Amino acid sequence: MAASVKVLVIDDDEDFRASLRPVLETQGYAVLEAESGDEGLKKLVEHRPNVIIVDIMMESSTEGYGVTQAIRWQEAYQDFRGIPIIMVSSIEQSPEERFPMAGELDMIRPDTYLTKPLDFPRLLETLRRIAAPS
Amino acid sequence: MNEPGEQEVIVVIDDDAAMRLSCRKILAKAGYRVETFEDGAQGLEGVARLKPGLAVVDLKMPGLSGLEVIARVHQLDPLTVVVVITGYATIDTAVEAIKAGAYDFLPKPFSPEELRLIVGRALERRRLVLDSRRGEMERELLKRRFVTFVSHQLQTPLAAVHQYLSVLRQLEDLGEAGGRRREWIERCLKRSEEMQTIIRDWLTLARLEGDRLVRQCARVDLRQIIPNILATYAEMAAAERVTLEARLPEEAAWVRGDLNCLNVLFDNLIVNAIKYNRPGGRVTISAEALGGEVEVAVADTGVGIPPQYQEFLFDEFFRIRGEGAKKTAGTGLGLSIAKKIVTELGGSIAVVSEPGVGSTFRVRLPAWREPAAEEGRDGSAA
Repeated sequence: MAASVKVLVIDDDEDFRASLRPVLETQGYAVLEAESGDEGLKKLVEHRPNVIIVDIMMESSTEGYGVTQAIRWQEAYQDFRGIPIIMVSSIEQSPEERFPMAGELDMIRPDTYLTKPLDFPRLLETLRRIAAPS
Repeated sequence: MNEPGEQEVIVVIDDDAAMRLSCRKILAKAGYRVETFEDGAQGLEGVARLKPGLAVVDLKMPGLSGLEVIARVHQLDPLTVVVVITGYATIDTAVEAIKAGAYDFLPKPFSPEELRLIVGRALERRRLVLDSRRGEMERELLKRRFVTFVSHQLQTPLAAVHQYLSVLRQLEDLGEAGGRRREWIERCLKRSEEMQTIIRDWLTLARLEGDRLVRQCARVDLRQIIPNILATYAEMAAAERVTLEARLPEEAAWVRGDLNCLNVLFDNLIVNAIKYNRPGGRVTISAEALGGEVEVAVADTGVGIPPQYQEFLFDEFFRIRGEGAKKTAGTGLGLSIAKKIVTELGGSIAVVSEPGVGSTFRVRLPAWREPAAEEGRDGSAA
């Protein structure tokens, strides 16, 4: 791999980030971390990652959807509108269940939804499929 | 109930044209939107399409009988209220109609006032049913969200442990990252302890449900138990460089309470006061008799609680996070437990706090009264 794929991991659980990093790094990915949605959006603009992994429930709220909504719909992030987003959560509540109104869901539908703990082979397979270096 | 401003729809099903016309006139004048139908089949189509709040159904019609119409209206929407009108008003037909699900019946001939009254009552009844139904749904939704939230709180540490173990296994195969192994194992231990604490606190909270606690109450001297609790946390306070201080009354401060629960209550408050303090800070716990109550104040010199969070402080799983928040391990249940204990004991808890200066939690508990004395008082008051 010439240019490595940059993965931005947004999660307020330090251990989630710490345990994911070596898995990605041994596969040749470059890893960026952010511990809140705001920090994640800042790093998105600064470092232009190729794919985002974002936790849904941060700070006891559904912040992950806020991040996705911002990237997909806010002008400030229009350069990144097409970036693949993988949403993760430890609860098995699908986006359809969380936002039963179809219109709402279309605004924030992630490319992929995975539950925690992450199944690493499945995550790596997903990354290979959706993320490409810039 | 319809939205404010929206007209309530009433469907009238009667084979008698004069009756349809007069029902329409009377009810339209009373502000309802009225649609009339001349037989059961058309009437049911109308009910399916218009979703009325109320249907006025003639009992004796050619084709579908009134009783059948009632049953089918309720198949379409069990909350549509049905009022039956009949020219053959006997007790038997009335009972039959009500058994079939009608709300009430009106014998012909009736006055406009009688029709308006019965329709008004029937719709009021529907509103009550809808309101209580809505309340039930709201409670159900809240419960479901809460279950989701609890499972999230429990799954999060477990997921972290699982992931570390997966990494350890994977990297063992690769023979890499040996140096971090120890650190990851430590984190696993820490997170599994966190989960144990959550489960323990959760159980404490669940056990506090109900009035068992109140029945177990005995006479407890706060002046005695508080120094014991402080002694338990002396080491923790020293490690955080926080000074503990008690200001207790000269006399015994008897309250009505359960010893274990009072210990849990003050444990939680004192641990918070130490954890959310600053190095070199102080925790002061004081007790004072105030008439029929004893007030205990736990004051710290810590980070304080921003005003916008204060009202949520006693909510289950609430934790202050975000910028400036101290990264402290905790389950978010300690203050819910404290509040529950205080409430069960018939007391109250409140907080006064200033960010950067500190917080004071004030607990008021009913003072102990001898049962005999209490009876005497009640007797004389009656």
